[in-house]
Amino acid sequence: MFHTTFYVRRLHSLCGLLVLGMVLFEHIFTNSMAILGPQGLNTALEMMELIPKPIFMGLEVGGIAVPLLFHGLYGIYIALQAKNNPCNYGYIRNWNFALQRWTAWFLVVFLIWHVGYLRFYVKGVTGTPISFELLQNFFQSPIVVILYILGMFAAIFHFCNGITTFCMTWGITKGPRAQKAISIISMLLCAGMCAMTLIFMGSYFVY
Amino acid sequence: MAEKVRFVIERQDSPNDKPYTQEFDVEYRPGLNVVASLMEIQKNPVTVDGKKVPPVVWECNCLEKVCGACMMVINGKAQQACCALVDNLKKPIKLQPARTFPVIRDLLIDRTRMFEALKRIQGWVELDGSWENREAPIQNPYTARTAYEISRCMTCGCCLEACPNVGPQSDFIGPAPTVQAYLFNLHPLGKFDKPKRLNVLMEKGGITSCGNSQNCVEVCPKSIKLTTYLAQLNRDVNIQALKNIFDN
Repeated sequence: MFHTTFYVRRLHSLCGLLVLGMVLFEHIFTNSMAILGPQGLNTALEMMELIPKPIFMGLEVGGIAVPLLFHGLYGIYIALQAKNNPCNYGYIRNWNFALQRWTAWFLVVFLIWHVGYLRFYVKGVTGTPISFELLQNFFQSPIVVILYILGMFAAIFHFCNGITTFCMTWGITKGPRAQKAISIISMLLCAGMCAMTLIFMGSYFVY
Repeated sequence: MAEKVRFVIERQDSPNDKPYTQEFDVEYRPGLNVVASLMEIQKNPVTVDGKKVPPVVWECNCLEKVCGACMMVINGKAQQACCALVDNLKKPIKLQPARTFPVIRDLLIDRTRMFEALKRIQGWVELDGSWENREAPIQNPYTARTAYEISRCMTCGCCLEACPNVGPQSDFIGPAPTVQAYLFNLHPLGKFDKPKRLNVLMEKGGITSCGNSQNCVEVCPKSIKLTTYLAQLNRDVNIQALKNIFDN
């Protein structure tokens, strides 16, 4: 007997935490170079351009596109199986459960816009390289800034709460004390990553 | 004039009828609980508008939180009506059937799905004979306390009602039947069927449908540490999956 559901579900968990978690860290790391000013971010972006094209494309497809599509599509299927009820059962974990799904829905829309515009349209169709100046121009609109900050917060929360649930799903944290400890650590990480996002987003208005 | 307690009850005449609400007043007395209030309504089924209606149908049995029959949604939360004291509840008190299950009539529900799930996870011990007291296989003294804790599950369905992943939109069998698999895996004879139970839990609707909302452990009237045992079972199915892959 081959338990497809089991393996797909576990792959969904691994893919979200390890692969997409890496993608999120890479984004925060590269974008935080904006704190150093236009020079800082542009140097970091040029460094990435040094990676040979086929390898870069391979990383984009194998490390981002495929895992993201799988995690997103199967995630929609999972989210549709839940009837969120934090209003009747207002426990922290249940709120996090609902938020995990609400952030997911927001991210589906946000990522279509983010990848569709910046990667496919700007970089792909018009051939304009991404730079500090381009982003600064993009962030002239306050709505774009707010949506991007919300997009980052949603991704960060989804990832950090994912650490807590990953540990439960894989049977790493069994008892309530261990589960609570991981939950606190991941929420601290969430706060730190959100603060980092605010700082590098702010740098576009400083320089 | 004696103090009255107002009940807002969601009623339904038959499994396929539309639900509607009716309000009843019950005379307050110290220590009054929801089941006792429903008994008063049964004696005199007159709504607050003075209309005589068919008495409200519900289920109860032991009246001491052991049988699980009187589980219903009281003020939005699944719980046993027999130990829901009127003093501790916000008024007016809202009673609804647990709609995770098919409603038969008013507050009476059909729990068949839980028993079907227990059949699915093999919630029993295969016997190949009987023993004299002294010769019988003994319970592991280190896990006996846990086994006793889980064995107190009364299949009331609170955890299924509270779980956001149980319902018509999903095929999850629910926390209670899943955790029963762990009880029988602990049993000195039941453990022989452990791989069988774990393989069932790996199927669609099994433990992978758990979304870690942890409502189950919060609402369990028997204080069974459901999430702890679900995590243990997650560990066990992962090991079983490795065995399935590498043992052949």
